[in-house]
Amino acid sequence: MATEEVPRIGVFVCHCGHNIAGTVDVERVAETAAHYPNVEFATHFMFMCSDSGQQLIRDKIEEFSLNKVVVASCSPRMHEPTFRRVVEEADVNRYCFEQVNLREHVSWCHMREPEAATEKAIDLVRMSVARAALLEPLEVKTVSVEPHTLVVGGGVAGLRAAIDIESRGFKVTLVEREPKLGGNLAKLSTLYQDNEKASDVIERMVLAARISKNLTIMTDSEVVDVEGYIGNFDVTIKSKATDKTEKLRVGAIIVATGFQSWVPEGIPPYGMSPDVITLAQFEEMKRDDKVLCPSSGKPPKKVMFIGCVGSRQPGVQGHEHCSRYCCTAMVKAAADMTEIADEVLILYDDIRTFGKGHEEVHRSAHEKFVIFSKFDRTKPAKTTVADDALSVKWRDILAGDDLEFHPDLLVLATAMIPPDGVEEVSQLFSLTRSADGFFNEEHIKLAPLTTHTAGVMIAGAAQSAKDSTDSTTQASGAAAKATSLMARGEVEIESTVAHVLEELCSSCHTCVTACPYGAISMDTSKKPEIAVVTEAECHGCGTCAAGCPSSAIIMRHSTDEQITAMVEAFLMPPPVMGGGDS
Amino acid sequence: MTATVTISKEWIPRIAAFCCNWCSYAGADLAGTSRIQYPSAVRIIRVNCTGRIDPEFVLNALDKGADGVLVSGCHPGDCHYTSGNLKMRARWTLIQMAIEQAGINPDRIRLQWASASEGQKFADGVRELTEKVKNLGPFRRGWQ
Repeated sequence: MATEEVPRIGVFVCHCGHNIAGTVDVERVAETAAHYPNVEFATHFMFMCSDSGQQLIRDKIEEFSLNKVVVASCSPRMHEPTFRRVVEEADVNRYCFEQVNLREHVSWCHMREPEAATEKAIDLVRMSVARAALLEPLEVKTVSVEPHTLVVGGGVAGLRAAIDIESRGFKVTLVEREPKLGGNLAKLSTLYQDNEKASDVIERMVLAARISKNLTIMTDSEVVDVEGYIGNFDVTIKSKATDKTEKLRVGAIIVATGFQSWVPEGIPPYGMSPDVITLAQFEEMKRDDKVLCPSSGKPPKKVMFIGCVGSRQPGVQGHEHCSRYCCTAMVKAAADMTEIADEVLILYDDIRTFGKGHEEVHRSAHEKFVIFSKFDRTKPAKTTVADDALSVKWRDILAGDDLEFHPDLLVLATAMIPPDGVEEVSQLFSLTRSADGFFNEEHIKLAPLTTHTAGVMIAGAAQSAKDSTDSTTQASGAAAKATSLMARGEVEIESTVAHVLEELCSSCHTCVTACPYGAISMDTSKKPEIAVVTEAECHGCGTCAAGCPSSAIIMRHSTDEQITAMVEAFLMPPPVMGGGDS
Repeated sequence: MTATVTISKEWIPRIAAFCCNWCSYAGADLAGTSRIQYPSAVRIIRVNCTGRIDPEFVLNALDKGADGVLVSGCHPGDCHYTSGNLKMRARWTLIQMAIEQAGINPDRIRLQWASASEGQKFADGVRELTEKVKNLGPFRRGWQ
């Protein structure tokens, strides 16, 4: 199936601002590429993904009649769809595009070795040019989208997303592993900014969900298996109570599995006295109107809060991120405590009450005479226990004074961390996680709600620490992403499927047993019988092609020749052209 | 006073790496986004699944002058295509037998599982293979 066209390749090397060009000599990469076989044009540019970068690619395709395009920039997992669209706009088939990963695989992981990084970049571009010469145009195919969404997690984000999708007239199933809906929000007392009871907010949402006729709620249940692809996922949901499983076909999935509040087990002052608790534990007491010192059972008279416990502490207690809810939640809790306690003190590193209405909550705490004291983050407060009484000593760095306080309740505003089971969820939906353990979005700015698994969206604290306001905003966004898929009704899928060359097939059945999807059968109308691929069922893994002893299976867009060309271009560089008659 | 500076260029082995798109290629991406630094010896070739890797690809790479070959895929049971990595694991035994019979040190090849969330594991695997291959020295065969 070799194309008759002579390859005319364009190579575009991206600086990615300083991200690639800060380490890799992009100019040298482009100059070297210009001399490779079949390369008609090579250049470098500040941002290939920008409007002007995209225009440059389209212009050069026209000017040099390019039929293959190589962009050396970030990971194809990030911008392959972008550049495929760009080349298509200039009438080059999307499968004649090849991306080289100079950022994630070169500049970012060899930051201190610019020379070695540049050599690696030159090799990788040469390998991709060799592959590009062998790329073939393929027809673009679409599949239908099952108009049904699965929402995983029945907290505030999952509820919002499910209600939104249902309100647009699509079916949705909401799965929650706990027996009750509401997630972490249901454990809180009253919410900033309006002092609304958390239970009221949750009850309103749960009611809205229950009266939605196209919304199925499955509590005390877990997703145990996910197969398929965008538009057609086959999910298995297991009821924890009855052990019964149910299978569903859905077109899209929203993962809203939330967070858990960090409990600093074994890290003082937590554990030194029963009167040292986390803000989450405090909220549960307050929700039940039982803010009492655990040791005595009496209402506390002197309450102390400590902020940023386990947040903004890279490598110390574990979490680099700001948890983004605790400052405001803490000042609100402290302001509320002035109603029953004589003295309320907040010990803070920084106070960041950044959200809408948060600063008002902060001011109100000052007005209610909550004492604020800033500690030195390099010299944390020292807590001691004598005769069951807590004593906290620290240096106030604004006053420059050594201070001491004897709280009868010490509340630690601890970090939000990924919940137990996050590892299983990440494997189930093939999601990646960032250094803080939360799920990675497809792109932090360009695509913050979609993931690297097509058809799977994320919302709420599953993506990063955030409060319920931000979680519901994201949930509505993720719901819009899911409904846009449903509304279109079909989605483009990869055309990278297997193809049997009849004249080479030796009827051995190896591919039939190798295929994980049963997509290959034998055509017995032919004598001898010949293997045949059902393209709609082929997922493109290529296991059949690797197993075929007769090399009779072509894996489109991943042919033996294309792979071998890369290996050989790496190890046996072609002679440099363009110098004399060579 | 004059200072004498000796710059000796360190030998960097040439290692061909076949990574599946869904786990290990993404794991290598994560190593990059996490700024995990690892040896620059590998050149990654992206395949959809480790099940796509014909044993011949590995042998051919060694034949064409690679000092080492890395194959990295999803954990068993975690394959994006359900079982392609298990097919690779079965073939790996054949590959090992073939290279041992050809008198090639099996330390030059490595099969590892690294998921999309295991950037560190991917980088550690590259480091380990690079160090082993460095100890063995350049591999000269075939066209060289």
